[in-house]
Amino acid sequence: MQPDSLTLAFDTSVAHCAAALLCGDKVLHEMAEPLAKGQAERLFPLLQELLAKADVGWKDLARIGVGVGPGNFTGIRISVSAARGLALSCGIPAVGVSSLAAQAEGLDGPVISVLDARNGNYYFQSFGNLDGAPPTRCTLETLPQIPARADPAVVGFEAALIAKHYAGHICLPIFPTAVAIGRIANRQKHDTKSRPVPLYLRAPDAAPPKNPAPAILP
Amino acid sequence: MTETLTILGLESSCDDTAAAIVRHIPGSMPEILASVVEGQNDLHANFGGVVPEIAARAHVEKLDTCAEQALTQAKLGFSDLDAIAVTAGPGLIGGVLSGVMFAKGLCAGTGLPLVGVNHLAGHALTPRLTNQLAFPYLMLLVSGGHCQFLVVHAADEYTRLGGTIDDAPGEAFDKVARLLGLPQPGGPAVEQAAKSGEPMRFAFPRPLLDRPGCDMSFSGLKTAILRERDRLIAEHGGLRQTDRADVCASFQASVAAVFAEKTRRALSEYLALNPTQPAFAVAGGVAANSVIRASLETVCNEFDVPFAAPPLALCTDNAAMIAWAGLERFRAGYRNDMSLSARPRWPLDTRSPALLGSGKKGAKA
Repeated sequence: MQPDSLTLAFDTSVAHCAAALLCGDKVLHEMAEPLAKGQAERLFPLLQELLAKADVGWKDLARIGVGVGPGNFTGIRISVSAARGLALSCGIPAVGVSSLAAQAEGLDGPVISVLDARNGNYYFQSFGNLDGAPPTRCTLETLPQIPARADPAVVGFEAALIAKHYAGHICLPIFPTAVAIGRIANRQKHDTKSRPVPLYLRAPDAAPPKNPAPAILP
Repeated sequence: MTETLTILGLESSCDDTAAAIVRHIPGSMPEILASVVEGQNDLHANFGGVVPEIAARAHVEKLDTCAEQALTQAKLGFSDLDAIAVTAGPGLIGGVLSGVMFAKGLCAGTGLPLVGVNHLAGHALTPRLTNQLAFPYLMLLVSGGHCQFLVVHAADEYTRLGGTIDDAPGEAFDKVARLLGLPQPGGPAVEQAAKSGEPMRFAFPRPLLDRPGCDMSFSGLKTAILRERDRLIAEHGGLRQTDRADVCASFQASVAAVFAEKTRRALSEYLALNPTQPAFAVAGGVAANSVIRASLETVCNEFDVPFAAPPLALCTDNAAMIAWAGLERFRAGYRNDMSLSARPRWPLDTRSPALLGSGKKGAKA
């Protein structure tokens, strides 16, 4: 095992704590625990258990891969903050990976990746020869256009419904989330400077005050 | 108390992202080697107050750059540190969580101990960082989110003599500014406008002065301002600048009068404990208000108790206070493990009954 190729990947963008330790694309260990609450408390103990299984320490890592969403805002921030702390303290790069890309990892040809954005909304991104457009948030009515007769593989939330819309076919993710994040992070070796940034795909809920300020007279 | 300690502090519980490094050589003054504060006023300006989700989004991307800047300023590396202290509550949970997770990431990679700090303890212990006050001292903590009188017995022992039962005064300043068409943050804007105003023109209420004890209320005062504003607008077809100045001055006078009287009561209770070196200190953003500060100083003179007001940059949210509070806790033997939780609510005084928001998750402060 070459210690300089160890990648630690983790994700808390949905109701789980998922982590994987990769050497190149080889998965040394992975863990995923369903967890609706307490991700902030569980994440580091889980990562420590994972490293202990492989008998490696934090200082042996070469790279962090972190899920940046889209997903639960708080969950995304838990992992991204942790990754930024680890990157700074270990002196290694942290690579942000979108959950939409992670879900589509390893699928060939035109791929449409969809995640639940709640209340009838979808997080959407296309890959393969369909790609080019950045990820987006949409409804069934506003699903983006793709070229005719593309027959895309559709992966993720309500895949059957979306596949019907695009006259495509359903696919399942090939890799567990954290493993996919690690694989994608490995391919960003050249980028050692940029830092992981949450992918919210939704503006913060905030409205200017309802009552306008009074007219000020001289 | 024999060891020299160097602590990195991190703060992200409201709308300031901050990192600082404090060193203490026993027997000498603590030294702030670096203090970086990245505010978010511009991000929240259009919303008339701090928007939690906007604040949380900013913290995630600023914590690491603030920490790096602090290390650079102090010309130190992680190996020069003894521990990392982080605000673990109370505050806006999104920001607190980001800070706690970032700190855990730093501790994992460096092997440094982690110390979770109560944000209020940070404020309450600042007079020891700046003025070396001896325990026990009396503290008025007054900010946008908090308002309480505390007797500080030790770094981990506090008695709350009283506090607000509704809004914090800083919040009231923000709301009054919004009502009067003044910019945010409201504290400095209201103070500036009040300078040319007549503090005796409007007799705004002085809430809870007729009741014993040190509890305060600022919610009704806000409503009184709204009524007066609406009356003035109806009379003149708009708010005249002179009227606005008078409203600001009268509002400020009301708040200052409440603080003066409640401070008298708090001082009496505190002095009954026979402290060896009595002292009164203020902290929090509202302590920057010169009218309020002057009235507190006057009361202290009446009681012949020294008045300590840390410099403004250490009164408002900062990370030097977190590093210092962490240092005191670390020295007392406190350490946290990687399961440290971020707490939206975390009262300093766990024995006194909760003043507000004592829901399922406990008292707010």
